[in-house]
Amino acid sequence: MSQVISAQNLGKTFHAHGRTVHAVRDVSLSVAAGEAVGIVGESGCGKTTTARMLLRLEDPTAGRIVFEGEDITHRRGAALLPFRARAQLVFQNPFDALNPRFTIRRALAEPLANFGVPRAEHAGRIEAVMQRVRLTPSASWLDRHPHELSGGQLQRVVLARALIPGPRLIVADEPVSMLDVSVRAGILNLLRAARDELGLAAVYISHDLALIRYVCERTLVMYLGAVVEEGPTVDLIERPHHPYTRALVAAVPVPRIEQDRAPLPIKGALSDAPLVGPGCAFRDRCPAAFGRCAVETPPLRELSGRRKVACHLGDPA
Amino acid sequence: MLLSVRDFAVHYRSAAGTVRAVDGVDLDVPEGSITGLVGESGCGKSTLGRALMGVLPDVARIAGGSVVFEGRDIIPLSERDRRAIRWRRMAFIPQTAMNALDPVQRLGAQMLEVLRERGGLGRAPALARAEDLFRQVGLDPARLSDYPHQFSGGMRQRASIALALALNPALVIADEPVTALDVIVQRQVLDVMRDLQSRLGLAMILVTHDMAVVAYACDRVAVMYAGRIVEAGTAAEVLERPRHPYTMGLTHAFPDVHGGTSALVPIEGAPPILIDLHPGCRFAPRCPFAQARCRSETPGLVDGVACFRAGEAETLRDAAARPETWAAP
Repeated sequence: MSQVISAQNLGKTFHAHGRTVHAVRDVSLSVAAGEAVGIVGESGCGKTTTARMLLRLEDPTAGRIVFEGEDITHRRGAALLPFRARAQLVFQNPFDALNPRFTIRRALAEPLANFGVPRAEHAGRIEAVMQRVRLTPSASWLDRHPHELSGGQLQRVVLARALIPGPRLIVADEPVSMLDVSVRAGILNLLRAARDELGLAAVYISHDLALIRYVCERTLVMYLGAVVEEGPTVDLIERPHHPYTRALVAAVPVPRIEQDRAPLPIKGALSDAPLVGPGCAFRDRCPAAFGRCAVETPPLRELSGRRKVACHLGDPA
Repeated sequence: MLLSVRDFAVHYRSAAGTVRAVDGVDLDVPEGSITGLVGESGCGKSTLGRALMGVLPDVARIAGGSVVFEGRDIIPLSERDRRAIRWRRMAFIPQTAMNALDPVQRLGAQMLEVLRERGGLGRAPALARAEDLFRQVGLDPARLSDYPHQFSGGMRQRASIALALALNPALVIADEPVTALDVIVQRQVLDVMRDLQSRLGLAMILVTHDMAVVAYACDRVAVMYAGRIVEAGTAAEVLERPRHPYTMGLTHAFPDVHGGTSALVPIEGAPPILIDLHPGCRFAPRCPFAQARCRSETPGLVDGVACFRAGEAETLRDAAARPETWAAP
């Protein structure tokens, strides 16, 4: 499989009020054509910053990003334009992603004009993308304004806007969190179909492991800016290795009466002042922490079955 | 029955006309149970919760029905009498804890104000009670001297639960209390609520859009759609053997973290705008099982379900499990 995007050792450091905050540390991630990778974690774990770096909406302070074989880490301005057409963000909130004064037709034509698609091609491209997001017949939608559409319909337009430039990569940050339950499935199914039929590489950012399980073959779990576990999604959810992943999986409520209601295997709450210096960032909340966890930062090490974990537990070394 | 709501209606004034946000609702909440009030945005669940509390916005008005709480109808009561019930007998936990907490006042001062002015406690007993309440929700009493902004989202929600419980209410209405929280914190806050409910024998109405939260935390559930309760019963009955097609659809519409990767089935269409409603069942336009009668007559809530085809629920459930049943026409 050819890698569409490959990020190595990405880092993002912010300096504020005399403090240095490592929002993202040493994140590596490759996504092949037709593959969907999830990044899961709680607010503040760095998943959104990572996604924004992959799209070059945020400059990394460390590492490099290779997109379709070209290093784009330091590209700027006009030199980024071809990349912008080929790597698209699906916005989270459909209610403010579209200009309320633009018709749907204009909302879809705008990215085409921005990326220099000849006018003669616009109508055909718009028709094709409306078919893809199942807003048909397109004539009954294109002259409407956003306020005339429901949340689910708007999210279809948002998805159409991301697909119309012909991207190879789409990044979706909580793509259905603003939508009602009954229409979420429709959007997730469209995203899956678009990826399969167009062979897109996809990155999903979410706090919702159930959603990630539905759409992603592979998943990275982030905690305080770093990847703590990685692997095929189903395997990772059913057999989590990292104590944080275990707590995260156990915390997800399931829509069944019979379910595990035992106290979560995690201590305390996410601290607003992350631990600094050596040692595991999760150790103060970990029910299994031992001496080594306070002195040595566990590296992300490879296990069998395409699994990786950053934890000293079970480490033979 | 602690709370009995009958034929209750709340309308909003809007430029486009009267919005029937809550329209003919029947709901029973027994003592000592957690009832989940579940539905999608705009279904009226939050409006119902706020109307029961007596904290509706100015554009809303109660348009009919009765709310019998602890043996008397509280709808005809004066604002003064309602205030006597609010907080003492019936308390509210909003979605965003910052809406319950004063950002410029220390949490201890806010607790003391409620306990002393509304609860009539002296300073020392009030302080002891505040410390005890903090302990009960899993907060360190030393942090009573903190301001709300010094707390994380989960801690603030715990503090707002402590504040709601200050005067030993019989009923707590919580409006999406965990929706804004991360999944681990969400679980911890739900555990605090379940623990308090069972230890104090409270009744709780948990307003939520999340069936999984209902399954985790609630004994009973009422499913709301377009201003009406379409199905109600024990959580086990409603989740495992749904009898209303909307509830059936919901159970196939969202992913299960331990479920398979088989295709999810959306419910096509959108809920109706609650102005100029047509006669008939409000779910009929999206219902794969709708018949002629469903489009002309409105089904009432009979034996916990508002559907003319409730008698065929078992057959419909089998059909509802097949994706093609829900395919767009």
